[in-house]
Amino acid sequence: MIEARDVSVAIGGKRIVANVDFTARPGEIAAIVGPNGSGKTTFLKALSGDLTFTGTVTVNGRDLSAMKPVEAAIARAVLPQATTLSFPFTVREVVRLGLVGGRSGVLPGENERLPERALARVDLDGFAGRFYQELSGGEQQRVQLARVLCQVWAPVLDGKPRYLYLDEPVSSLDIKHQLIIMNIARDFARRGGGVIAILHDLNLTAMYADRIFVMHRGRLAANGSPQEVLSDELIEKVFDCRLRVGVLPAANMPFVLPQSAA
Amino acid sequence: MVDQSIAGAASKMARAAEGDRSGRARLVILLLCLLLALSMFLSLTSGASDASAVGVIRDWLTGAVPADAALGARDRLIVYDIRMPRVLLGVLIGAALAVSGAVMQGLFRNPLADPGLIGVSAGSSLGAVAVIVLGTTWLAPLTLALGGLALPLAAFCGGLAVTLVLYRVATRQGQTSVATMLLAGIALAALAMALTGILIFMADDRQLRDLTFWQLGSLGGATWPKIASVGPIIVLALAAMPFMARGLNALALGEATAGHLGIPVQRLKYTAIVGVSAAVGASVAVSGGIGFVGIVVPHLLRLLIGPDNRYLLPASALLGASMLLIADAVARVIVAPAELPIGIVTAIAGAPFFLWILLRKRGVIDL
Repeated sequence: MIEARDVSVAIGGKRIVANVDFTARPGEIAAIVGPNGSGKTTFLKALSGDLTFTGTVTVNGRDLSAMKPVEAAIARAVLPQATTLSFPFTVREVVRLGLVGGRSGVLPGENERLPERALARVDLDGFAGRFYQELSGGEQQRVQLARVLCQVWAPVLDGKPRYLYLDEPVSSLDIKHQLIIMNIARDFARRGGGVIAILHDLNLTAMYADRIFVMHRGRLAANGSPQEVLSDELIEKVFDCRLRVGVLPAANMPFVLPQSAA
Repeated sequence: MVDQSIAGAASKMARAAEGDRSGRARLVILLLCLLLALSMFLSLTSGASDASAVGVIRDWLTGAVPADAALGARDRLIVYDIRMPRVLLGVLIGAALAVSGAVMQGLFRNPLADPGLIGVSAGSSLGAVAVIVLGTTWLAPLTLALGGLALPLAAFCGGLAVTLVLYRVATRQGQTSVATMLLAGIALAALAMALTGILIFMADDRQLRDLTFWQLGSLGGATWPKIASVGPIIVLALAAMPFMARGLNALALGEATAGHLGIPVQRLKYTAIVGVSAAVGASVAVSGGIGFVGIVVPHLLRLLIGPDNRYLLPASALLGASMLLIADAVARVIVAPAELPIGIVTAIAGAPFFLWILLRKRGVIDL
């Protein structure tokens, strides 16, 4: 379990995140939603240990601030919003970097084949020999996800659940790959791991999240199951947009929801 | 073309997975070992004197006493006490400069970072010149206490100071700004050179002659005692660098991501900075500023085997050593019996190459 208690982050004297309580359980996808600039990414960075914060964060009962980088790397993997590379690595070399510090959890001999398996999972079969810098933004994001998957390939290691932190994992993907990536996250959770994902698409969030945390101006505005959280009032208050939940458009207006995927 | 044929051969040999260049890298490293052996032999046998190194080596191997004892003694002197330390020094310094360049480029996440370009060598020079000029006056207690180590140590401190300031100025929240790095490097180099200028102004005629030659860079002063004083520093720094390879690879994804992957980033950065400063400082202390090795060698190798530091660092050491020996052979032979400072040779070959890199990267490198 990932537990954050009363977490606040200040950058340059300005409070970006204030008094957030948060829990991510193994077996579940915890989604963080909220408008731009509401502190979602900053909060995830605090959870990852990138930023100094006040309050406490524990990972499987251990205080995050007492964990060494390699211990944290064994317990969780982090997918950032976008990653630029400074040198011309091939796709396979980038994915293999996921094995650099932590423990994938497969037998030692199988590690060498893990990059190919991870690439196949994110629908990038045959991309191993391409140069990362020559791929499109969406392809780069999937390469990074493959790297992250290598790092925590087994969702449970030594009896302890492991976690995926995903910052907008589907933001630059087409609908097919959005579904593929979200299914990978759900599968990771079903096999005993935990997932924390920052998402923007409320339909996708409702479909996949077990628990939604809504952030607004650096604070937690609501949390609970999709049914509890996604209400007309909350969306209007948080997103400053008068939308209504569950209302179909006019009869002749086409609409496509991820829930309709076969 | 060559590149592709080597790739083909390597993939056949190792049956490597697609995108895995480690087989090719191992093959290139093997070839570079041969190149280094060849350059060492060439360097040992060529020079202004017609001393027969082959004869000396043969005698040495067979334990035979040369027929003409007087001539044999002269040849042995030239080979053992002049050429051999020079070859060894060339190997040490070539390896140190090339690996320092590769490590620095990994640390700054930029293929343009080079100890010579961004002022580290200038800082080392300042430290070294201070000891040469002030060693008998203001800094006398220091030189007395440290002896032969005073010069490399001062050069190390100068290089370390520049690197630390540079890193602090150019890096904010884990992101290094290339423009800031290069500009700050120019400013720091200018400052170090100005201070060096003041010291040169204070130098006497004899010191001045030493300094001029030394500043252009030369392996000419190679002696066994010099190797004994800087050799261990360079070997130690080089020995530490393979342990950074995986960390530097991860750093290519950014500092935060390297941390997420389990790399102790702060420790890695400081080890790299101290290692580079030690290697560059020791090199500058004995041979002056030899430029462009640190940028040309790793860049060529990245084109050939990719940026994986596990292979790039050892390959850089081998190719850097070979290239410096070849440059030194050119410097000795081209105007024999005099010799050109080697820094001139590396600059004449390296500066156009550097411009070529910039042309190729135009639009790719974002200043």
